[in-house]
Amino acid sequence: MLKAAWKRPQFRIGLIIIVSLLVLAIILPLISSTSATTLSIRERFAPPIFMDGGNLKHLFGTDQLGRDLLLRSLIGLQNAVFIGLVSVIGMFFLGAIIGMYAGYKGGWIDTILMRITDAQMSIPVIILAITILGVSRPTAFSVIVVLILAGWPTYARVIRSVTLTESKKEFVRAAKIIGASDQRIILSHIAPNILPPVAFIAVLDVARMMIFEAIFGFIGIGIQPPIPTFGNILADGTKYLINAWWITVIPGLFLFTALISLNLIGSTLESARNEALEGREQ
Amino acid sequence: MTFVLSFLLRRLSQGLVIVLLVGFVIFSLLRIVPGDPVRIIVGPMATEKQVEEIANELGLNDPLPIQFGRYLSEITEGDFGNSFIKAKGGNAASGGKENAGVERAAVLDLIKNAIPLSAILAGLGTAFALMFSIPLGIAAGLRPNGLISKLTFALSSIFVSLPNIWLAILLILIVSTQLGWLPAIGYKGLSYAILPAIVLAVELSAVIVRALASSVTTTMQENFVQAGVVRGLTLQHMISRHVIRNASIPILNLFGAQLGGLLLGSLFIVEYIFNYPGLGLLTVNAVFQRDFPVIQGVAILTTAALVIINIMVDLISAGIDRRLQY
Repeated sequence: MLKAAWKRPQFRIGLIIIVSLLVLAIILPLISSTSATTLSIRERFAPPIFMDGGNLKHLFGTDQLGRDLLLRSLIGLQNAVFIGLVSVIGMFFLGAIIGMYAGYKGGWIDTILMRITDAQMSIPVIILAITILGVSRPTAFSVIVVLILAGWPTYARVIRSVTLTESKKEFVRAAKIIGASDQRIILSHIAPNILPPVAFIAVLDVARMMIFEAIFGFIGIGIQPPIPTFGNILADGTKYLINAWWITVIPGLFLFTALISLNLIGSTLESARNEALEGREQ
Repeated sequence: MTFVLSFLLRRLSQGLVIVLLVGFVIFSLLRIVPGDPVRIIVGPMATEKQVEEIANELGLNDPLPIQFGRYLSEITEGDFGNSFIKAKGGNAASGGKENAGVERAAVLDLIKNAIPLSAILAGLGTAFALMFSIPLGIAAGLRPNGLISKLTFALSSIFVSLPNIWLAILLILIVSTQLGWLPAIGYKGLSYAILPAIVLAVELSAVIVRALASSVTTTMQENFVQAGVVRGLTLQHMISRHVIRNASIPILNLFGAQLGGLLLGSLFIVEYIFNYPGLGLLTVNAVFQRDFPVIQGVAILTTAALVIINIMVDLISAGIDRRLQY
C-alpha cells in the first residue's frame, strides 16, 4: 500500500511539504534570536514581508503585541501536530482494544460494547468538548483526552469488523487448536491485520484533529495563552481584522498548507488501498 | 406497515436508552467538574450561608442519582429547568443583590427561541451544499477518470483542509468588510444567514461530493444498468431514473451517521463566529457562564435530535430500497 502510494506524485508532494514544515517548526524556534512570546511594542502591527513596510526580520509580520507571527505559527504547528498525533494514536489504541475484544469474543460482550460505541457516536464532539473543557481549565492533556473520547468509536467499528472476518480464518482456528490463549491470538495473529484498513483514516484524522484543536483554541477551550496555538492566534487577530488582516490570514494560510499536505497523503493512501482491494478481488 | 411499526418501536427504544445514557453522563460531568454555579448566581458578595441556602433551594446538595431522577421527571413534564444566568426578559441576571426576585428564563424557552434561527442556517447550508455537490458529484461519478472528476476531488481536498474558523474570518473580511456585499454579524434578516451558511456548505460538500461520486461510480458498474441498456432503455433514462436513486442511499446514510454530527458541530462554531443568535451561540455562551441547565438541556435535545435523524434516515432508505427492510 505504501509502495503504491509512493508512486503517486500527490503523495510525495504532500510528504515533502509536511516534512519541511515540521523541520522548520522544530529548528527555527531553536536558532531564532527571539521567541514566539517575546513582546516588542515598538514593532507591533508590522506587516508581512511582501507589503509596504514589511521587513526581513518578521516574514509573516507581527501581531498586536509585536510578537513574530512566523514563530507563533511554527510553535502553533508544533502544538497542533503534537495534539493531532497523540490523540489519533490514543483513539487507535482504545478503538483497537475495544474493537478486537468485541469482534473476537462476540455474543453479549460484542453487543454491549457496540451499543456503547453507538451511544458515544451520537454525542457530537463539540458538545463533549464544551462540557468537559468548558467547565475545567483546559490543558494539552485534557484536549487530547476529549479528542480520544470523541474519536475512538470509528476505530472500534472498523477494527471490530476486520477482527470478525480475521477470527473466522483458518490460521486462527489452527492457533486455537494448538492451545494458544485468546490474548496471544489477538495480539500476535489478529493485531497485525488491523493496521492497513485504518492507516488512511488515521492520517486524515490527524488533520481533522488539528482543525478541532484550532476550533477549541478559538472559542477559548483549547490550550491557554500565552502558548501560541492556531486557535488563539486567529482569535486574537479577529479583533484587529480591519487594520491588521495578516494576523489571521497568514497563520491560517500556514495551517491550511499543513492540513492540505496531510489530506493529500491520506487520500492517496486511501485510493491506493482501494485499488489494491479491487485488484485482489479480480 | 407492520415493518414500519416494529422498526420504529425497536429503534425508538434503543434511542431512548442512548439519550438517557448521554444525559446522565453529561449531567454527572457538569457536577463533578470544579466551578460552583451558586456562586455565579448570587455573585461574589454573598455570604457562605446564602450560598448554602440557594444550593439547597435548587437541590444542588442532593446525591447525583436523585438530582438526575428529579431532572428526568421534570423533563417528562416539558420542564428543562431555568437558566442560572438569563432573566426572563432576555437580559443577563448575573449576580447582584437586586436580582434576588428576578425570574430566570426557562431553558426550554431559550432553546425554542434559538431553534428556528439555527434551523434556517442549517437548512440553507445543506441546500447550498446539495446545490453544489449533486451536479458535480454525479458528473464526477459518471466519468471516474475524467477532468471533472479530478477537479472535484481536488476541490474536495481543499474544502476538507479549510479550517472553518479561518474560512469564516476570510469571508467576513473579504465579502463583508472589503466588498460590503453581505452583512456578517448578528441576525436581522435572511441575508445574515448567507455567509455562515456558505461556511457550513463548504464543510458538508467536501464529504458529500466524494461519497456521491464514488457511489455513482459503483452503481454504474452494477448489472442492472447494463441490463436496462440492453433492453433498449437509453443510458440517460437509466441514470436519471435508476442510478441516482440507488446511489443516493449511501449519501442518506452519511447524513445520518456523519453529517448530522458534522453539521451540528460546525453550526455551533459558525454561530459563535458570526454572533448568530441560534442554538450554538446560546450554548457557547452558557459554557462561559457555567449555565448548567442550558448546557444539559441542549446536550440532551441535540442527542435526541441526532438519534431521530438517524431513525428517519433508515426509514427513508428502506423506502427507497425495499431490500433494506428487515
